[in-house]
Amino acid sequence: MKLIYKYLFIFVAILFSSVSFGQSVHDLRLNEMMIKNIDNFSDEYGRHVPWVEIFNTAYNTVNITGCYLTDDTTGFAAFASKKTDQIPAQWYRIPTDQKMYMPQRSYLVFYLDNSPLFGPFHTNFTPAESNTHYIALISSNGKEILDILEYPAELRDTMRVFGYLVDGVRNPEAFKKGKRADGEIGYLTAFTPASSNVTQVGISKQEKLRRDDPYGIGMAIISMAVVFTALITIFIMLKIFNYVTRRTTQKSKAQEEQKSVQEVAVDNNDNVGANAEEIAAIGTALHLHFGSMHDEESEIITINMPSAHYSPWAQKGLSMKKNPKLK
Amino acid sequence: MIEFFKEGLLQFLSYSGFGNCTWGHIIMIVIGLVFIALGIIKEYEPLLLVPIGFGIVIGNIPFTDGLQVGVYESGSVLNYLYFGVVKGFYPPLIFLGIGAMTDFSALISNPKLILIGAAAQFGIFAAYITALLLGFSPMEAGAIGIIGGADGPTAIFISSKLAPSMMGAIAVSAYSYMALVPVIQPPIMRALTTPQERLIRMRPPRAVSHREKVLFPLLCILLTAFLVPTGLPLLGMLFFGNLLKESGVTKRLANTASGPIVDIVTILIGLTVGCSTQATNFLRPASVLIFVLGAFSFVIATASGVLFVKFFNLFLKGDNKINPLIGNAGVSAVPDAARVSLVEGQKYDKTNFLLMHAMGPNVAGVIGSAVAAGILLSFLY
Repeated sequence: MKLIYKYLFIFVAILFSSVSFGQSVHDLRLNEMMIKNIDNFSDEYGRHVPWVEIFNTAYNTVNITGCYLTDDTTGFAAFASKKTDQIPAQWYRIPTDQKMYMPQRSYLVFYLDNSPLFGPFHTNFTPAESNTHYIALISSNGKEILDILEYPAELRDTMRVFGYLVDGVRNPEAFKKGKRADGEIGYLTAFTPASSNVTQVGISKQEKLRRDDPYGIGMAIISMAVVFTALITIFIMLKIFNYVTRRTTQKSKAQEEQKSVQEVAVDNNDNVGANAEEIAAIGTALHLHFGSMHDEESEIITINMPSAHYSPWAQKGLSMKKNPKLK
Repeated sequence: MIEFFKEGLLQFLSYSGFGNCTWGHIIMIVIGLVFIALGIIKEYEPLLLVPIGFGIVIGNIPFTDGLQVGVYESGSVLNYLYFGVVKGFYPPLIFLGIGAMTDFSALISNPKLILIGAAAQFGIFAAYITALLLGFSPMEAGAIGIIGGADGPTAIFISSKLAPSMMGAIAVSAYSYMALVPVIQPPIMRALTTPQERLIRMRPPRAVSHREKVLFPLLCILLTAFLVPTGLPLLGMLFFGNLLKESGVTKRLANTASGPIVDIVTILIGLTVGCSTQATNFLRPASVLIFVLGAFSFVIATASGVLFVKFFNLFLKGDNKINPLIGNAGVSAVPDAARVSLVEGQKYDKTNFLLMHAMGPNVAGVIGSAVAAGILLSFLY
């Protein structure tokens, strides 16, 4: 008989342990949500869509695979009582994914965007198209509402976040009666998706800009000042380049001149003063002059130095690309 | 048997593009075809308009959800290619190529031209203010304003961070106006200059030494990145590419950066940005406003550059004066804006070649728009 009690005890212990593991989905909370998301938290595609954050209040890992998210629990009673096997259309069954194993005290954000094809964190409903004012988290067997976050209707029209004022802390007795304790949920002062709602972080950059510089004039002035500062810094650097280059060129020119003067002094026979290029130019000009027919001319040949405006860049061939054809 | 065939045929049709087609899809496909036509027939920025146009066509082929073919469908091939746009790593790679292609000699030899590149960035912030007044959020306004920088990669980089949902419209708008630089800028340039000013001849630039060319990217990255670290992805790649080109010892790397890399990324970025303009995302009143604001910022940027030169000339004498027709080149549409300066200048004096003078503010505009992008990110992101 004692042996029977012993086995019974072990059986009950195993049963309870499995129940306690199973109960950890009860530690999940719909912790924070936002509906009118214009320039706040974005999904992996960069879109600003409504979102809800789930928080695992437990100190162990919870697998949320198979649980349902919805904004319409009308089919709940029928599904829970097994009157129908059909999962209500507005229920989003959280798919199997490694990321659905929520470590202790962790957060997961689901996008309420009616785009389930976008990935496991995108639901098949959006509160923007719903008449209800709540989001519910339902257990995987469909029999239990794990948490329900009712929000005020004006949340749809305001860029604010709503949720647990202290992460996932709720009054269990009041919740069983379908009520909330005072000060349990409400508008939050800061957007904290995937992190704690209790934060000392102030308002976001965008909010600050919207408040302090609604017309953007301040930012425009500061930005232009920074752009000018950056480019003026480069300008100064280039000026220094120019100065150094000019000095170096002048120095080397002076040295060359000095050298050529010395060479001329040494070689008195070479008193023409023209370099090889000039001699070649004169020779070519004389050849062309005497080798062709001419009218009466001055017979003076001069070398014109290039004007100050000459530049090898002033050539059509250096145009970057041809004009678009106007057909 | 007939029922079976009927059902099969209807099912097939429901999966086909014909069964899912909407007017939005047709309009977008027509827009895509117009882009391709502009690129091929008119030769307006064909390297950009042809991939973007084809991307618009691909992105707007109607299909049934769940086939994993669309650019927004997780796991599809296009979705993987789009990753480079969403995460913003295509634009810095294009900047690497731009750096390896750009010759900063004109800027180094005449440093004052860099200030024109700074003045032209006013278009960005004018559009930002206007967008705010029209009800856009600060992040969206910043992303729209960057169109005035006339720099496609920068526009994509910024919009992918600040307003990803508007990226398609912003990118298409930026590239469209870049292609239309020869049409948009000349009337503004003529309206803001006098005949005498258009005839100003500028002093020819001096020769720039190899040492200066090598030091330029090194010092520039140190100066600009310390000031605006958020611009690092763009500025870092731009000056790195330029160092590869100017160092003279990394010719192979410079050739790869300015050739194969930039070509591959241009194909991917053009195609996927085009794909992202799905009718459902693109055909909205906001897209029309983005196009209007883009044009506005372009006009303001051009006017700011020209007016700044006129103002600057008040303090310059003799052959130090700058021809205001190069003011338009302060926007960073390289080299088209500079070519517009050349063409306009030659209308009034056939021997006045402004091209290389205009290249100075043009490349300064590239630096300026990257700096402006960094500032927008530091304020808004």
